[in-house]
Amino acid sequence: MPAERILTRNVGRPDSTALASYEANGGYQALRKAVGSMTPDGLTEEVKKSGLRGRGGAGFPTGLKWSFMPKEVDPKRPHYFLINADESEPGTFKDRLLMEKDPHLVLEGTLLGAYAIRASVAYIYIRGEFVHATQVLERAIEEAVAKRYAGKNILGGAWSCELVVHRGAGAYICGEETALMSSLEGDRGYPRLKPPFPAASGVWKCPTTINNVETVANVPFIVERGADWFQSVGKAPKNTGPKLYCLSGHVRRPGVYEAPLGLPMKELIHELGGGMLHADRPLKAVIPGGSSVPVLRADECDVDLDFDSLMAKGTMLGSAGIMVMDASTCMVAAMARIAHFYYHESCGQCTPCREGCGWLERILNRIEGGKGLQQDLDLLLSISDNIMGNTICALGDAAAMPTISFVKKFRDEFQHHVDHKSCLTGTLALQGVR
Amino acid sequence: MPKVTIDGHEMEVAPGTTILQACLSRGHEIPHYCYHDGLSIAGNCRMCLVDVEKQPKLVIGCYTPVADGMVVHTENEKVKKARAAMMEFFLINHPLDCPICDQAGECRLQEYAVEHGTGVSRYTEPKLALAKAVDIGAHVTLDQERCIQCSRCIRFCDEITKTGELGFFQRGERSQIGIFPGKRLDNPYSGNVVDLCPVGALTLKEFRFQTRVWYLRNTSTICAGCARGCNVVVGVGQQQTMMTTSGQIDDRIKRIVPRVNTEVNDWWICDEGRLTYLREQGSRRLVTSVVSGSAATYDAAVAKAAELLAAAGKAGTLGAIVSPRLVSEDVFAWKTALDALGGGPIHVHELTRGEDDDLLIRADKGANSTGAAWIAGKGKAPVAAKTLLVLGDTLDAADNPGVPAGTEIVYVGPFVMGASREAAVAIPSASWSEAGGTFVNFQGRAQRVRRCHLPVGEARPSWRIALDVLAAAGAVAPAWSSEDDVLAALAAKVPEFSGITTESLGLLGVPARGTVGA
Repeated sequence: MPAERILTRNVGRPDSTALASYEANGGYQALRKAVGSMTPDGLTEEVKKSGLRGRGGAGFPTGLKWSFMPKEVDPKRPHYFLINADESEPGTFKDRLLMEKDPHLVLEGTLLGAYAIRASVAYIYIRGEFVHATQVLERAIEEAVAKRYAGKNILGGAWSCELVVHRGAGAYICGEETALMSSLEGDRGYPRLKPPFPAASGVWKCPTTINNVETVANVPFIVERGADWFQSVGKAPKNTGPKLYCLSGHVRRPGVYEAPLGLPMKELIHELGGGMLHADRPLKAVIPGGSSVPVLRADECDVDLDFDSLMAKGTMLGSAGIMVMDASTCMVAAMARIAHFYYHESCGQCTPCREGCGWLERILNRIEGGKGLQQDLDLLLSISDNIMGNTICALGDAAAMPTISFVKKFRDEFQHHVDHKSCLTGTLALQGVR
Repeated sequence: MPKVTIDGHEMEVAPGTTILQACLSRGHEIPHYCYHDGLSIAGNCRMCLVDVEKQPKLVIGCYTPVADGMVVHTENEKVKKARAAMMEFFLINHPLDCPICDQAGECRLQEYAVEHGTGVSRYTEPKLALAKAVDIGAHVTLDQERCIQCSRCIRFCDEITKTGELGFFQRGERSQIGIFPGKRLDNPYSGNVVDLCPVGALTLKEFRFQTRVWYLRNTSTICAGCARGCNVVVGVGQQQTMMTTSGQIDDRIKRIVPRVNTEVNDWWICDEGRLTYLREQGSRRLVTSVVSGSAATYDAAVAKAAELLAAAGKAGTLGAIVSPRLVSEDVFAWKTALDALGGGPIHVHELTRGEDDDLLIRADKGANSTGAAWIAGKGKAPVAAKTLLVLGDTLDAADNPGVPAGTEIVYVGPFVMGASREAAVAIPSASWSEAGGTFVNFQGRAQRVRRCHLPVGEARPSWRIALDVLAAAGAVAPAWSSEDDVLAALAAKVPEFSGITTESLGLLGVPARGTVGA
């Protein structure tokens, strides 16, 4: 029996973006309940108990993050709530679905988070390319303000919270939380040194909390149904709640799928995803959490898709962008493409990432183009190792981790490229399928 | 106070001290590029990575404050490997054009590559080709290939001058330092970005291709550009000129760079001060003595000067105008001489231009206005004097004191300008960089000016000329044989200078007595 759709319950309903439709399906009742009968700290406590972990990639406990905020608001330093809607990780497209199809769920979650951290302004920093989602959100905000769900004196109470959509200008790095803050302030999207952490000094040097879109979309349900219910979904105690999985690659039905955290990967690929795209091409590899995380070989894919199960396999759930690669995939070409992305998106601030990402890309392009040298394979590993952990933010790691895993797990393919100036015999790539 | 163990040495440091600062305080430098004492912390060069026990990753020494009980390793294998890795990253796209780079010899890339690099690069890809010799301002040239993106120059323009001309453009490997559209790096302190640049990306137009830095003889002295008295290092060319066969040593100032003195100028100097030597080199120097319009021997000129000054002194028609750029020793020696010859009003000429800014520049262009006034008093312009001693050091015609027509002038100074042209006697004296002495800046801080090179022609320190004139006039001249002797006499005579000795001035100077309680 398919699990109950929670986060996507309105997706597919007629007029799902309209406030009336959202209200008709129980919308804004959680906000009413929280503002009417819960204190900000009570709400934070409930979210803590639920076990909700950030859906942006790092999986940090959301309630704990909220609890880092000052308990009182210094009038000179208002609290800011930021929603990271700069969804740019290759293979990830779940936040976009929520914003385009159920904007009021995103807004209600945003407002609940803002209430919990005592924010008077919430910014939704949205990827610039998401023009439609921006329009949908802006219309939804107008509707919400008109009905006193947002803006001044929310639901007639004392608390006010303004909602603002801010469009990014096309940089992956601006999805990094501190770079997002720099960008929001009008500066170059450079990640900042930590500490101070955002709760102490975030945007405009004020206490700030930043959450992913999907993360806050869970909150209305926690408020409505309680932390215990949330704990009953998924794998208690640390991998709880519903999750959106972004399935792409060589499967028959790519798309966003909702399931409780801990969905077996095989079930996602073979049942929800309809199986491999070509029946005669077996699975070769899966990137389970967006292009930044280590790749899994087919024989490692008997794993549940949750934070800790994937961690145990040496990779990460990340943004739950599951990219499926079948036997036709040239792993050298795939890695070269990934490396190109990080080369293109490195902000250039830290030396190892700025210089290393370009170096990796050039070597990979050379190997793929049949000009690889024997020493290149170990060089790729060494450069990646020299980038790893040595930069301000995690973009350097995001370039290094896939490189290390691709070269280590598919070394024979890289070796074949070096030796024979072509793809490994037997991959369909050789036959021009790629 | 937090107790921290760094490389096995236990030390106590003030709270908030960073690992890098704590290391520096015991004379151990952690290699770094982007960190600078005078700027905010960027933390992006990643060169100062160090290993802190119980931390999963290496941390940057420039940003990480020491904590009680912290155990830091700055030289273990993990750190050395990271440093070598950073050096490799820095150099993969660096042009390695050291043979034609002005920075060579004082380049952090060279120094750290030798100290921390592996000596070989594994990079075999084509290097990025970027713009060379980009004209970004009146004094500064940018080489984008050499830039290591430490952002010091950007932070300087953002935080110190607050003019914000520079920024990063593009991103990743393609990111470059650049000038914002429609702007030029023309702020009055632009040259500092060249000093800040740890590599050869920003070079000073006036110094480009002038000499290799290892040929410079460097002297710590004080800028004579205004009453601030910025601490500087003057580099004098020591290279034998290749175009001549004479084997003569250049011995001219090639550049002036700031020297840190947080009491006076922090890490900076203004462009005008930095380039004072060019104005001096471009001015006509008085190289031989002149009597009545004709070249004369020094002795003849001194005898004539003595005769004229003594006669006027006796007649009570003597006056003097003193340049406020003269060192205190010169002013004191001449004051002593004039007193012995009968005395007369001494006026310290005022040199003011523009306004004080809120960084360093002072409207008062007299580097020793304060010291000269303490010695000579605040005499009015000696308009009634029939014979005028002009102790000149002024450069601009506009700076020259007006002298009534018909006045008999005895000129002692380095330049042919203004009063020197109509002088009955003109005797060449050493310029600011050719003799030592003491300046007192607008704060009342006495600072040591040092001789950077030999005087040109027959020029000699002004105080020596004063003694010679005294002797020629038949008076008893004090037995001073060095400017230290003059300073000792000055300190004994003028209360504001009491206690000041060459030793007490050291490299950074001291507040003079005249400022106590001021």
